[in-house]
Amino acid sequence: MLEATPTPPGRLRRAARELARAALPSVAPILTSLLVCFVAVAALRGGVAVAVDAFLAMTWGAIGDVPRLLEGASVAVLLRPWGESATKAALLTLTGLSVAAAFRVGLFNIGAQGQLMVGALAAAVVGAAVELPAALHGPACLLAAALAGGLYALGPALLKLSRGVHEVISTIMLNWVAVALIENWLVPGPLRAQVGGGNSVAGTAQIHETAELPRLVGEVSRLNAGILLAAGAAVVLWLWLARFVGGYEWRAAGLGPEAARAAGIDVRRTVLRAMLTSGALAGLAGAVLVLGTEQRYPATLGAPYGFDGIAMALIGQGHPLGVLATSTLFGGLRAGGTRMQLFGVHKSFPELIQGLALLLVAARLVWTKLADRWLPAREGGP
Amino acid sequence: MRRVLLGVLVAMSGCKKAQDSKAPAPKEAAATRLVGLVTDIGGRGDQSFNDSALRGLEAWAAGVAFKGGAHAPLPPAAREATIPPELRARVRPVAVKPLVVQSKVQEDYQPNLQLVVDQGAGLVIGVGFALENAVETVAKQNPDARFLLIDSPVLDAKGGLLALKNVRTVIFKEHEGSFLAGALAGLVAKERVGFVGGMEIPLIKKFEAGFKAGVKTTNPSARVLVQYTGSFDNVQHGKQAGADLLSKGAEVVFHAAGSDGSGVIQAVKEARAGGAAVFAIGVDSDQAHLAPEAVLTSMVKRVDLAVWQAAADLEAGALSGGDVIMGLAEGGVTLAPVTLDFPGKAEALAKVEALRAAVVSGALAVPANDEALQTFSPPSH
Repeated sequence: MLEATPTPPGRLRRAARELARAALPSVAPILTSLLVCFVAVAALRGGVAVAVDAFLAMTWGAIGDVPRLLEGASVAVLLRPWGESATKAALLTLTGLSVAAAFRVGLFNIGAQGQLMVGALAAAVVGAAVELPAALHGPACLLAAALAGGLYALGPALLKLSRGVHEVISTIMLNWVAVALIENWLVPGPLRAQVGGGNSVAGTAQIHETAELPRLVGEVSRLNAGILLAAGAAVVLWLWLARFVGGYEWRAAGLGPEAARAAGIDVRRTVLRAMLTSGALAGLAGAVLVLGTEQRYPATLGAPYGFDGIAMALIGQGHPLGVLATSTLFGGLRAGGTRMQLFGVHKSFPELIQGLALLLVAARLVWTKLADRWLPAREGGP
Repeated sequence: MRRVLLGVLVAMSGCKKAQDSKAPAPKEAAATRLVGLVTDIGGRGDQSFNDSALRGLEAWAAGVAFKGGAHAPLPPAAREATIPPELRARVRPVAVKPLVVQSKVQEDYQPNLQLVVDQGAGLVIGVGFALENAVETVAKQNPDARFLLIDSPVLDAKGGLLALKNVRTVIFKEHEGSFLAGALAGLVAKERVGFVGGMEIPLIKKFEAGFKAGVKTTNPSARVLVQYTGSFDNVQHGKQAGADLLSKGAEVVFHAAGSDGSGVIQAVKEARAGGAAVFAIGVDSDQAHLAPEAVLTSMVKRVDLAVWQAAADLEAGALSGGDVIMGLAEGGVTLAPVTLDFPGKAEALAKVEALRAAVVSGALAVPANDEALQTFSPPSH
């Protein structure tokens, strides 16, 4: 009876408890992974002091160099790290949302990397070949990237629906098709930037300034509108899934396609829409990379953000806001982690933290058991 | 635990403060000697471009080696061993401290360069033309910091040259080194030689033009067979191209194809194992270790020397901006020592040496592109 009429503070406390219960299977693995990596650095690189230095360097590299600011350095020491963290966070969020969107209808989209690449190329081509006023050019590039990514994901979805081809196989193979098509042919071949004087440049032609994502704090930092786009996408996807009939249909189709079909849901259409959305989000990630920092499709798109998206979706438990939070954290770790090289830590260390966290997230049962022990669903008891 | 951590932090910040207030002047001097280097995504251990740059900074200039995540002093003899004999007298140790940051992905170039600038490096080195954009941006934002960009001039958005006061750029006259490689190939081969290029870009065209001119000089009747693989990172492409040229009768194959080139060398090695008297010529660094019995020589690009030179100039207070071009005369390109034996080796090497002298003295201009090659007339002897 007490539950029926909770007082406001009681309701608040219960909501906080629920949130903590839900977040524990993500937060605990991340903290454990950070701790393990701290111990590893301390053991391998000459003691706790070095590890503290390295982790502090990573922290300041992620959230801004607060100590130097206090020593009187310019505000750039704060803004530059923000820019780098936000750039990476935006990419991870968009690819994470891409994977999470497909998850919701029960599909495992491993092809975010390929969709990101075609999106990046579409943005680079529209950004360089088309001339438009600034108000239209950026959106046009984003639209082109989303379309390209979406269409690239449509193929596997159609194959799945018409022939039962498993999407894991088709999407992962299309990643390699994208590599061959774009990086082995189009970018070094027909789309290579033409410059005079026997100079060599890598990648496609530079995009026009009108196509660049606006920088939020001027030229001092690369902080750009990409992070706003990513955060907006997370909120929209969350609202869609939680508050709209269409989103409800996605979830129903994901939880049990037969039951959904029996309930009158057009599962076919639902899957197609989700896959299009998934591809479009990955394509947008490619656009953020090209329009935000690179200004062209580079010779090779080194970073496997599409695959990182799988990790983000899993650690964020497929919840759009969980993906946003996870990606923000790992975006910061990635950006700041570079600085650990100053203390002899290998450049791949942030990925190591991420991989370990993913491994620990997979041990979900452990964390839900712990959650039951520490934060039982109901207070007190009967 | 938390208290211990806090204690450590306080102690550390205390130390830092004390240093700062005690001796600001030495810190200033030390800061100018810090030399930062940002690799491209190839990174440490690429056996080629990045490793060459790192050698110039770490072994040649600073006299240290990178082991277990830290720099340790290198014994003088070990340092000496990394320097080719002809440069040993010139390449002296320089009082610099290397700070190496590797790039995981290309969007890290810019923050990594900025990071090194923020550490107070007196010189920041960007390795490879992929860093051109990033060096340009960071150099503009930090007009007081000084930069060295390897293998590309600074270009504006349209591809035109852009002069920045605080940037020195180094490009190499690959055609001059390739000319000597071609001259040697022409002397070793009777009728046909081969050239395998990576992507068909102006940079690689320079190799081709120089190589053809060299062959034309020493063996005017020989044909040069050319094939491009279209990539720099596909060993299999290189192997196919190499095998193809060998089947068409090429006796010596020169490659300028990055990692594809190991495939070319592999193809030559296998042909030799099958009894054919064929040779490969490597590129960028001395590639003899890939197949000691098959690699005749290599067209070496001395990125290490360019890096060392900048560090030495920094120490001497003579680090100027501008575009530096390093050819045979400057020691920027050269042929690796020829250790294999072939008939008439002594005369051939003497002839190549004479051609080198002619290029160095300026008596002989080596063509750097197709048009110049058309009008190139070999020196008479």
